[in-house]
Amino acid sequence: MQPLNETEALDRHALVMAIWLALGFIAVILFDYGFGAGGIAAIAAGFIAVLAAFAGHVITNAVYASDFTTREVALGLVLYAASLVTLALAALLAPDFASRNFLPLSLGFVAIAAAVIIYMIIRFGLRRSFDAFDVISDFRSRRTRNDTPDGGIR
Amino acid sequence: MTTLLSTALAFLIAYAIYVAALSRHVEGRPEDFLDAGRSLPSWAYIFAGAGVVAASLGLHDHLLLTARYGLQSSHVAVGLIVVALASVLIQKRLWLAARITGSRTAGDLMGIYFDSIAIRLWLLGVLFLFSVPVIAYLLAETGGLMATASAEAMPARLVIWVAAFFLFLFSAVGGWRAVIYVTATLSLLLLILIAFTGTFAGVTFESLAFVARGIDVGDGILADQIPGVIQFSQGIGKGSAHGGIWTTIAILSFSLSMIGVVLSPGFGLLGITTSTRKAFAFNQVWVLGGLLAGLLLIVVPIIAAEMKSAAGADFAGIVSRLASLDQFAAIGFLLLVLSASLIGIAFFAASGASIVTIEVMKRFILPELTGRGQKLAARIALAVIYLAAATIASVTPQGAAIFSSLALSLSAQLLPAFLGLCWLPWISRSAVLTGLILGSIAVLFTEPLGLIFFEGLFVDLPWGRWPLTIHSAAWGLALNLGACFLVSIFTYGGAERDHRQRLHDVLSRDHRIDFGGPAARGAKWSLTLIWAFLALGPGAILGNDFFSQPMFTGGNVALGVPSLLVWQIIFWSLGVLIVWWFAYQSRMSVIVSEPRHSLTLEPALNRLERPATPPWIARLLGRVAGQSTQIVRRD
Repeated sequence: MQPLNETEALDRHALVMAIWLALGFIAVILFDYGFGAGGIAAIAAGFIAVLAAFAGHVITNAVYASDFTTREVALGLVLYAASLVTLALAALLAPDFASRNFLPLSLGFVAIAAAVIIYMIIRFGLRRSFDAFDVISDFRSRRTRNDTPDGGIR
Repeated sequence: MTTLLSTALAFLIAYAIYVAALSRHVEGRPEDFLDAGRSLPSWAYIFAGAGVVAASLGLHDHLLLTARYGLQSSHVAVGLIVVALASVLIQKRLWLAARITGSRTAGDLMGIYFDSIAIRLWLLGVLFLFSVPVIAYLLAETGGLMATASAEAMPARLVIWVAAFFLFLFSAVGGWRAVIYVTATLSLLLLILIAFTGTFAGVTFESLAFVARGIDVGDGILADQIPGVIQFSQGIGKGSAHGGIWTTIAILSFSLSMIGVVLSPGFGLLGITTSTRKAFAFNQVWVLGGLLAGLLLIVVPIIAAEMKSAAGADFAGIVSRLASLDQFAAIGFLLLVLSASLIGIAFFAASGASIVTIEVMKRFILPELTGRGQKLAARIALAVIYLAAATIASVTPQGAAIFSSLALSLSAQLLPAFLGLCWLPWISRSAVLTGLILGSIAVLFTEPLGLIFFEGLFVDLPWGRWPLTIHSAAWGLALNLGACFLVSIFTYGGAERDHRQRLHDVLSRDHRIDFGGPAARGAKWSLTLIWAFLALGPGAILGNDFFSQPMFTGGNVALGVPSLLVWQIIFWSLGVLIVWWFAYQSRMSVIVSEPRHSLTLEPALNRLERPATPPWIARLLGRVAGQSTQIVRRD
């Protein structure tokens, strides 16, 4: 995979932002409507919009022969974690909200996680996808490196 | 809702400035500010091209007209297929010719190809119409819409100046690349919001007005039928057309006027500065002819049917209905209408500034202008454009509307010139100029500006705007093409022809089009003409009852939707197929090999055309600068 030059990286970044801005706005409308009168169907449609944006991002990566950047992964993880925490807090502090929306929101978050895992398996294969989460082996390999006579520098 | 709307717009502004800041960092040379180093990505052209066409059509006006006239007005969306076909004819060849001759703009290319300053000036005139009156008109629309949506909490004039300032700011920071990125993003947002609004209304509204009772147009207007092939009315302002103004001839001629978008200098710059070889066909077939035309045909009538309120056909009805369901949905609809206007404003201002700098400043006034100087000149031009447009929009919006009505029609008069450049070397300079003059006179006298001036100065004319329900662009093109072909007969050959032929020799040698054999060639053109006759021409009248009262059956069929809508959808689908046939199968929009700068069309002997500082300008500059300025000539 050739690294993108500065202009190509900006082209890709602008396209990714365009996709997330357009579909993200639709998702916001649907979530807002879903938390009100729209109900489960609107919340599900909101998650479909998010998944569509994710699919668009993946297609962009394929077109530009690139991968998710570290910043994108970090931003995605932070947003996902923040959303989960918000959902948990809302479930604790607003029982009415939780009784209506907990199940569809939980299923939506599971669907997003599933989409990411499926993408990783397709993109990297089962072993490399597992390796990405295999923190124990990561630590072990690091300790092995440190045990070498030259302090890990070979 | 005002707070939410302001927040959404502030977010868009922040996004635009962020993109501009990023674009500034990747700018290789200072002059890349003007043309993005001719390396715009394909996706930007694909979406921005469609958005600019939607903005030029005037989504705001299109919605209001459909609410007022029903399906006869929304039929003009089928005309986007004609725009796509015109783009198929022009864009690839323009791109190739620019690369082969090393030209930076369409005006530059026209000037050296026809060896004519007059044609250059003509293009600059059209550029001016798009860059000032059209922008002023769109700014006035934006101000009016925001004032209505916020119940005058945001006054129209304040909105006009704030919008102009922020659009100027991000354009001045990021240049052409940033403007196209933002335009493409807004275009994608526009397409998604059109689809979303229609679907949302269809799913959430208790009963869709379009399904329940159709579009509630005024008395005497046919909501779901085309009111005849032609009507012998004197024109808007002088006579009335029975059943509505959108006869088949009006629809066809309006479609011809929309060709003006593709022929406009700004759109030419967009095509020329695109780096890719893949973007043209995808834009023309799938996004412009397919997605945009389809959405306008199917979704706009649904939205328009909801726009009827106590005050008439306006946006208040649907906005309040959407807001009663969800505030964000109402904001989404407002953003849909606003984004079309913002696309037009940002795009035409930036293209105007770039072209003025390249074609006027760099070519005639200061040929030795450095890259940094060009960038500064473009920024000054941007400031002047926004200042002029915002002033006109806030002081005299009516004047902006009158002048802007000329832009598309006068731009469409460039069709013979583009046909000559791209396909027909026998179209001569004098033929193009004669056609332009006659065509423009016809346009002027069938649009408000010419009528107001002539009737104010001399006598009342017996016709109004668009007499016989024929759009001014078609009146102009009829005279223009007739005169152009006639004059070409007498100016067929000679040294000028040899000069033009050089470009066509390179095109036919290195970039052949695959039209197929004689049968395939005949089928392509004849089927296109049959399609145009039935989709937009007189044959479209059959669509009024074709599916609800089929011929020879004597009975009625309960379709559930108007027969005309089914007709429109069928011919839109067939139209997409035709565009695909030309763009992909005939390779009219597929670029096989990268051309290189291999031809110099710059005339060596013409003093007027020589890119030198004219002596009087040099003297003037010398006085201003307080030093003697040498006259620089590039021989």
